[in-house]
Amino acid sequence: MAVVTRSPSENVVLKKPASTSALVRVLRYVVMRLLVLGMTVVIGVYLTIMIANMGGYVDTIMRSEVADRITQSIAANPAMQQMDPDTRRKLIEERITAEEKRLGLDTPIAVRNFRYLSNALTLRLGRAINLTSDAGSKQVRRILLERLPATLLLMGVSQIFLFVSSVLLALNLSRRYGSIWDKVVVALSPTSAVPPWFYGIFLILIFASLLKVLPFNGMVGSPPPSNPLDYTLSVLKHLILPALSLVLSSFFLSIYNYRTFFLIYSSEDYVEMAKAKGLPPRTIEREYILRPTLPTIITNFALLIIGLWTGATITETVFLWPGLGRTLYQAIGLYDIPVIVGSTIIFAYLLAMTVFLLDFVYAIVDPRVKVGG
Amino acid sequence: MKSRQSVTLLSLLVAVSLVLAACAPQEAPITEEPSMPEPQAPEATEAPVPTEEPAMPKTTRHGGWLDEIDVSVVSGDSAISQLQAGAIDLYSYGLASDVYPAIKEAGLKYSQSYGGSYSLMFNPAVFEDTTRLNPFSNRKIREAMNWLIDRNYINQEIYAGGSLAKFFAVTTQLVEYTDLIDTARALESKYAYNFDKAKEVITAEMTAMGAVLGSDGKWQYQNAPVNVIFLIRPDGDGTRKPMGDYVANQLEAIGFTVERQYKKSSEAAPIWRGSQAKLGLWNLYTAGWLPSGLTRDERGQIQQMYLNTSIQGVDPFISNVSDPEFQKLGDDLAQGNFSTPEERKAMMERALELSLQDSLQVFTIEQVQYSPYNENVQLTYDLASGVEGAYVGPYNLRFVGEEGGAMKVGTADLFTEPWNTVSGSNWVWDSNIMRATEMGTGNIVGTAGLMGDPYTGLAWPHRIESASLTYKKGLPIRQSLDWYSLEAADEIPVPSDAWVDWNATEQRWITAAEKFPEGTTANVKSVVVYPADLFETVTWHDGSPVSVGDFVMAMLMPFDMAKPESAIYDESLVPSLEATLATFKGYRIVSTDPLTIEAYNDSYNADAELNILPLWPLSPFGLSGENSWTIFAVTNLAEANKEIAYTSNKADTLQVEQTSWVGGPSLEVLAKYLDQAAGESYIPYKPTLGQYITKEEADLRYGNFTKWYEEHGHFWVGTGPYYVDKVYTTEKSLVLKNNADFVDLADRWSAFSEPKLARILLDGSGQVKAGEESVFDVSVSFKDDPYPSSDIQRVKYILYDTTGAVVVVGDAEFVGEGQYRVTLGADVTSKLPTGSARLEVAVVPVPVAVPAFTSLDFVVVK
Repeated sequence: MAVVTRSPSENVVLKKPASTSALVRVLRYVVMRLLVLGMTVVIGVYLTIMIANMGGYVDTIMRSEVADRITQSIAANPAMQQMDPDTRRKLIEERITAEEKRLGLDTPIAVRNFRYLSNALTLRLGRAINLTSDAGSKQVRRILLERLPATLLLMGVSQIFLFVSSVLLALNLSRRYGSIWDKVVVALSPTSAVPPWFYGIFLILIFASLLKVLPFNGMVGSPPPSNPLDYTLSVLKHLILPALSLVLSSFFLSIYNYRTFFLIYSSEDYVEMAKAKGLPPRTIEREYILRPTLPTIITNFALLIIGLWTGATITETVFLWPGLGRTLYQAIGLYDIPVIVGSTIIFAYLLAMTVFLLDFVYAIVDPRVKVGG
Repeated sequence: MKSRQSVTLLSLLVAVSLVLAACAPQEAPITEEPSMPEPQAPEATEAPVPTEEPAMPKTTRHGGWLDEIDVSVVSGDSAISQLQAGAIDLYSYGLASDVYPAIKEAGLKYSQSYGGSYSLMFNPAVFEDTTRLNPFSNRKIREAMNWLIDRNYINQEIYAGGSLAKFFAVTTQLVEYTDLIDTARALESKYAYNFDKAKEVITAEMTAMGAVLGSDGKWQYQNAPVNVIFLIRPDGDGTRKPMGDYVANQLEAIGFTVERQYKKSSEAAPIWRGSQAKLGLWNLYTAGWLPSGLTRDERGQIQQMYLNTSIQGVDPFISNVSDPEFQKLGDDLAQGNFSTPEERKAMMERALELSLQDSLQVFTIEQVQYSPYNENVQLTYDLASGVEGAYVGPYNLRFVGEEGGAMKVGTADLFTEPWNTVSGSNWVWDSNIMRATEMGTGNIVGTAGLMGDPYTGLAWPHRIESASLTYKKGLPIRQSLDWYSLEAADEIPVPSDAWVDWNATEQRWITAAEKFPEGTTANVKSVVVYPADLFETVTWHDGSPVSVGDFVMAMLMPFDMAKPESAIYDESLVPSLEATLATFKGYRIVSTDPLTIEAYNDSYNADAELNILPLWPLSPFGLSGENSWTIFAVTNLAEANKEIAYTSNKADTLQVEQTSWVGGPSLEVLAKYLDQAAGESYIPYKPTLGQYITKEEADLRYGNFTKWYEEHGHFWVGTGPYYVDKVYTTEKSLVLKNNADFVDLADRWSAFSEPKLARILLDGSGQVKAGEESVFDVSVSFKDDPYPSSDIQRVKYILYDTTGAVVVVGDAEFVGEGQYRVTLGADVTSKLPTGSARLEVAVVPVPVAVPAFTSLDFVVVK
């Protein structure tokens, strides 16, 4: 492990290293860390490519689909039904060849795989095979960027609300261990076994179908209001149910997790010592419980932030929310490897950067941690 | 302690309630018996006769009935709830028939249309591995599969009784089927579910093939079980899985060992389509076929669905060795090798019979789809392709008894692909919107200013003054409507100045004299005369009048784009042009005032109406949507500079965006070239279009188009009753507004508004004595009034005996308006064995493509 942690009591006996050796140590650590993360990204993305094209079997599937699509389109054209079979077959074969060429199926799979990989690593996301953006673009960059705001809005609002409320309520509950509210949270934590889309269906039934106070689905009313304020209000109104379903599905379990986590730290010896010293509860909470848990909380938060990128596939589908989750789902269904790889590489880079930066953040927020030590 | 127990109890309650909620039955269980055992296809509506007064009260309103149509994407799962909650007024996309009971229960109105069909596709090959027996290489066993499966059971249990049992490759209860109704019903009766008969035939054939029925009741071949690999599709609408399981159960019940392989489309296709049939990777497959729309001519289906000359061109079709008579019949029908309608009919009748004997596919279900809408909505839908497939649909969509208002319409998706009329989206939901913005519809051989009849599939003149059709003597062409003149000629010479091809280098038409110095002829010639005031009364949505330039531009585009010398050459369009040129014989503009255009073709349709070729600036590539010469001019400039491309193929090759006239990065490019064209008063293809477009017209066009873009933010402009006001691609919604400048009044097609539902009552004795005459009365009505005899083509009756075999088929006797009589003579009743018998009556109306049926069961006594 590159990161070494020590208990607060050990810190006092450590000698501060010389600044030059510290710089070398950090630099060595940075280089090694970047190399390892880089390799991880390369391997991860290549594996994604291999999985996405099922080791090359997707070519067979795509060839079949191309042949079927073109044959059916010609079969549906009455003008071509009177052609003699040989001419018609030749025409079909020509079209199939052209379409296979367009899809790149005339290039060996290994070559295409490495092309996908090198393009992905250099963030040349390229063009989708079948998928188009809502506006009609085939550029993967546009396809992803078009859906990003909607996903960030839905996931951002729900996950950040979930995170903040969970931490605050959990901290509060950890001080009231065994209280009725604590027991309610413990009792309701299994409700998180139910996926968000399931809550979504119930919420739609109650608030849209029965009470008719909130919209069934979509991101904005139809037609979308032209006034920016009305547009915003319409979006917020449409946001309530999907966000609520995402929050509800994780709410109690999240509080329960943090509450248990805080409880463990609350029972540390140094906390008991602080209590014995008569320090105020707020000070104990802030300095003795919350601070040592900060690396974990920050890690969770950072992963939550990059997790926003992935969207919530089924919830987005239930609410017809135009997010990245649905796009990725469609791309997988269409074997659209450039879109799958594009989405993966961005997530991989975000994850690698986050992991890399977190090492430094740990060192900043926790004096027990030393980079490259 | 108490509080802990309470908490535990509470948590248990929550968990139990969630489980119960998850297990609760759905609102509309699919197995519920619908109120009608098998819904009849929508019934008669009178086709409009141009000279007739519209049925609806006169109006002064132009364009569509609505002020605004707000279209958005709505999940099909919530469509009924959203309709009930008033969130939408209409769900225009067709829902599968398993929602039919839920629609009825919700008290919603609905349209019915065909949604494709399902079949069992068999591998007909003898396997390379001689230790494995393929039972379905035996034609008799395939035929017996018809008796082994109960199509009515499938329909009731899986499709909630909302679809139709299907036996033939032609669409059940549509035009072709109706023409062959005697044969079709008799064959349906012959091949009705009969497990014992299936077992008897299969047992005999399996034994003859060397298989042995083991003591465990399983077929063995060379001491191994006869293993049948069944590819079952669990994807799509999910109905193929239970259907496949049912068939597998039936196969197991007669001794086959069935290996059920559940594979979605992409996994199954490489096996059933992609592998060699003789390798034996599969034995049967749950196939599905798209609906073909309100197609009147389905003779090609025999070849396509059974024969090794099928357009499908893959195994298992290639491996099928059909009966030589069937092979010849199917090929002759597809190639049009017959000379009279009577000969064609006889060939079709025999082909239907032989198709069931061949049974490379055993068809199971003709799917019926439902589009639900609220009580206050009035609409017209196409019998075959539903609300979204009806060309006249946008014209008649309205709130009952109201003019104006904003209607909220939900559909399954929008903007699935970029919108342009060369190679843009042709998804049904996108096309439905596009059609609201255009005038008329495409016909079978090209584009036209016609209106498709939603009930017969025939075409009515929309923006043409008169037309005539000449066809070569001997071709089996029939006339159904009388809005044009028809004549036969020994020979139809193509005039030497007719335009037959395009010279992309010189940007001019190639004449018949140049291409065919020896002269050439055509099978059909249509002459269309447009209204004298066409160019004054019809305007584009941006205010520019339609001009001859629009017509000629639409004519030349498919030629120019497929010529390597063109600046906008697109190799992916070459095969289309080659296919067109194989039968296309020429255009000729006889006059521009009034506009008169002749068209010559070798390709023809059996319905004379569908051979009339009135050109119109509609998509020259058979898509929906209109195109002014202006939008083509601007887009062509952008394409020539390789900044965007009409087709996805070329866009991928050039690594540029595919052209969209409604959204995305194309708009900025198009706006740039619109500025350029306006600045230069650009006239495209000047050597040709310069004869029709003046600088003044070009300036006016570009000025109006620029204003349009500034106001609406897109380039989608048509001449139809609605215009696209705003487009929201990411939000997946769109606003259509009424075109108050539309040339026609809103009631132009109101005669199509209300379906003229026919009702048949069959009355007679419940007991018939064999050897004595028996009489049955038939009354056919519409809204309690007699159905006019002039609107009834035939009233047929079919008598079945107690075994279901057909005893006699005949025509009912006309008694008076709406009254018919069926007389079963003594010679007929004497043929009936004692027991139950059934008399079925089929009414074939003129104004609609589907027949109506009713039947009466009676007892035969000695």
